[in-house]
Amino acid sequence: MDTGSIHILIYVINIFFIVYTLTAVGSYVILGTLSLFETIKYFRKNSYVDYKQILSSTVSPSISIIAPAYNESLNIIDNVSSLLSNHYANYDVTIINDGSTDDSLEKLIEAYDLECIDYLINEQIKTQALRAGVFKSTNPAFEKLTVIDKENGGKADALNVGLNMSKSDYVVCIDVDCLLLEDALQKMIKPFLETTKTRVIAAGGVIRIANSCVVKNGKLLAVNFPKKLIEKTQVLEYIRAFLLSRMAWSRLNGLLIISGAFGLFDRKIIIEVGGYDTNTIGEDLEIIVRMRMHMEEQNIKYKMAYIPDPLCWTEAPDNYKTFISQRNRWTRGAIETLRKHRKIGLNYKYRLLGLLSYPYWFLYERIGPVIETIGIVYLTTLVVFQKLRWDYAFVLFILAYLFTVLFSLVAILTEEHTFHQYKEKGIGYKMILTVLLEPFTLHLLILYAAIRGNWDYLFNKNKRWGAMIRKGFQKSKVNN
Amino acid sequence: MSKYQYFIEYFEQFPLVIQLLWIISGFFMIAVLVLISYLKMLRSYLRKKEKNTTKYEKEYELSLLTYLFSGNEVDEVNPEQQLIIDQLKTCSIDKLKRKILVSLLVKLKKDISGEMSESINKLYSQTGLIGYGIAQLKSNQWHVVVKGVRELAQFHSTEVYNEIFNIRNHSNREIRKEVQLYLVSLFNFKGLAFLDDLKTSLSEWDQIQLLEELHRGETQEIPDITPWLRSENESVVFFTLKLAKTYNQFEVKNTLIDLLLHKNKEVRIQVILTLGHLNVVESKEILKRNFNQSSQEEQVVFFKIFESLYDNNDESFLLEHIRHKNFDIKLKALSMLKKFSIDTFKNIEVLPTDIAYAKIFKFVENN
Amino acid sequence: MNNKKTIVLAEDNSTLSLLLKFRLEKEGYVLLIAEDGRKAIELIEQHRPDLILTDIMMPFVSGLEVVSFVRGKLNLGSPIIVFSAAGQEEMVLKSFDLGANDFMSKPFSPNELVIRVKRLLH
Repeated sequence: MDTGSIHILIYVINIFFIVYTLTAVGSYVILGTLSLFETIKYFRKNSYVDYKQILSSTVSPSISIIAPAYNESLNIIDNVSSLLSNHYANYDVTIINDGSTDDSLEKLIEAYDLECIDYLINEQIKTQALRAGVFKSTNPAFEKLTVIDKENGGKADALNVGLNMSKSDYVVCIDVDCLLLEDALQKMIKPFLETTKTRVIAAGGVIRIANSCVVKNGKLLAVNFPKKLIEKTQVLEYIRAFLLSRMAWSRLNGLLIISGAFGLFDRKIIIEVGGYDTNTIGEDLEIIVRMRMHMEEQNIKYKMAYIPDPLCWTEAPDNYKTFISQRNRWTRGAIETLRKHRKIGLNYKYRLLGLLSYPYWFLYERIGPVIETIGIVYLTTLVVFQKLRWDYAFVLFILAYLFTVLFSLVAILTEEHTFHQYKEKGIGYKMILTVLLEPFTLHLLILYAAIRGNWDYLFNKNKRWGAMIRKGFQKSKVNN
Repeated sequence: MSKYQYFIEYFEQFPLVIQLLWIISGFFMIAVLVLISYLKMLRSYLRKKEKNTTKYEKEYELSLLTYLFSGNEVDEVNPEQQLIIDQLKTCSIDKLKRKILVSLLVKLKKDISGEMSESINKLYSQTGLIGYGIAQLKSNQWHVVVKGVRELAQFHSTEVYNEIFNIRNHSNREIRKEVQLYLVSLFNFKGLAFLDDLKTSLSEWDQIQLLEELHRGETQEIPDITPWLRSENESVVFFTLKLAKTYNQFEVKNTLIDLLLHKNKEVRIQVILTLGHLNVVESKEILKRNFNQSSQEEQVVFFKIFESLYDNNDESFLLEHIRHKNFDIKLKALSMLKKFSIDTFKNIEVLPTDIAYAKIFKFVENN
Repeated sequence: MNNKKTIVLAEDNSTLSLLLKFRLEKEGYVLLIAEDGRKAIELIEQHRPDLILTDIMMPFVSGLEVVSFVRGKLNLGSPIIVFSAAGQEEMVLKSFDLGANDFMSKPFSPNELVIRVKRLLH
């Protein structure tokens, strides 16, 4: 190849990267602005609401909390006790012990005076068989609780058993170690009650990181900023994603993901679509896409809502290995789902879902890390062959970094203006430091994990669900 | 000086694009620094605010309770109370203090009724807080107006009735809703007059709030709810059905039976549930007659209420449906059969090949 | 010797607790306040009060569990009055099943509460 064509090639590649980056940046700005407006609107609308009215009303809809558990013996009693003390009148809690090999079931039986009962389940969705059976408490104070012990089948299968069993209008699918605040159900159900013409079929909430927070007997006592950099950067990432992106998608009604850790669904719809898919890793993304497709095909006006209040707290990975394994899994899950439902891509029959949500997710979430990595490789190649225009590269790098920092700062400020969860003195500096360091640390880790995810998806079909080493909530000191 | 000039010359050598990019970077840098300092200021402000809030809360709590307990059952205000009123009046000039004071009064009003509740209402007027509430009504921002109306409703401020009544048809939905709640909170059932010609829909949330307000007020005589049941506005019908259930309006049973022919399936379902709750036995025959033509959801709901209306003449009907394709109906029919006619139940033939059915039968047999 | 009767009040509305404390102490009772169910159980275990007032919906441990604990594990016969918000009839019935003596639905009149307390303690 002669110098002329190389120059043209470089030029074309540069244009491609520039266009991609500009559109990505543009979309962040648009989504960020939309999110901000939506968060402010939500705040205004709910600043004077007395949620207790939902709590005490006899006509509040029934909700079932469904929590699959696998070898959660360390914290299972605290977790269940936390789920049972929610301030809502009309709800029940179903714990599904998914073939645990530890003493979770024995602990529960003892703590809640459980006995095995004869129960007939309406098998609307096919699931694995039961093991020890269905248990209920002999103490009327724990009437809300049901424990099901079944053969191992994975999280999706366990959730499906819960769906079969529930007789409520709505179900909350939650990770059993997620700490739910007392008014979570009241706040989550409100969007379902407020609509007149559109039907709300699902609602997602913000997941907050509980690392270093003080939790006692299943109750959140104090919110602390985590100690390790990897935890701090995740806090930043979650705040950015939830407050500056998801709110916008909710407003556009293009929300494509509701976290598997915490979501509220219309039970009738989720059963209509056949429940969770047990053959996929990313079952939380997949069910949302399938539910949306179903509603689009039926031509019914529907909506998926999003609540920015901190309602659910969970532990995030605190070491590189677990983190990479988690993000690797998320990547493979996303690829699987996008591939399974690729017919909706750019398909005008699916309206916003097919014309905006799917392509956006594909271009910027799924392909994004790949393009970025190729970009890095490309830059390195240019350096090696001394073709790099340092003056351009340098200023662009500075610009990209400053933009990221700016965006993160806006996210932090939104959080401070709205929920202000981290009240302790000195956290401000830590937050700023995290913002400055994140592009060099977490971001690169995420890239690496995504590439590994792509690789494993293509070449390593035997990857199993990586176990996140459960440490239990840290017991740190409470500062007055 | 020369270094500075050197920089400028160096800069001007760059192509225009790069110059532009550097200028943009410069702006970004400034923005970052501005936001960082803003963040620091914001955090210290919030911390200070929280400390003050706790301080004022304790202070006002004490004042409030002293005021309430130094009253001597007479309408007049004694000097000790007057002192507190004046103190609170001065405090309410500051926005934060006012907010804390009002929320404290509201906090107490939520759980207290009777004389003390009345005293709190009086205090709201006497300290001049009511003036601020009224001022909020005139704001341009809808959420401020809503807060104002809500506050005035919580303290039963009848003085502002005219002002609030005038905004009942405001273009903003939330404001209209809040006015409706005000009317109900002050006038109980009489305040529901707006249902007569309501054109907009009441969401479930609206209905819950209205029901709660009705519940908190003193029980009055319930007006005739039949016209609302016949309303063109379906959400009004839904709301009235809830009223019929909550206040056991047996009188409207005939209208309810008429409503079984309503065009909206959801309405029909709610009507069936209400009839079941009120134990309207006359409806049973009609529902049985229409059973096969109704939608599956209506059939399931009918079986939900069937048990409370059952009598021995219904046995044949039960037998007709013990093999209904719907799981819940099968289960319910078999359970009812076992409960009311155990002999007929025992005589049911269950083929061993019909595994699913045998499972249900066995379960009912053992429980 | 202290002849004053002790009452444990479990209520998460701090202003209401303070008000009831003032009111009941005026009548000559000793009031111990707990902001949540867990603290309530601790206080009851420690002081064995003559009367217990408890809200049903509280942080940590519900009023139902408090009643169940008092009648069951502790086997204490002290009268119990539960407070409930409207719409919690099922909870109220359950609390009676577990051994509560009386209930008052919110909003209630503090004077009425005093009358009922007196009735149960004398």
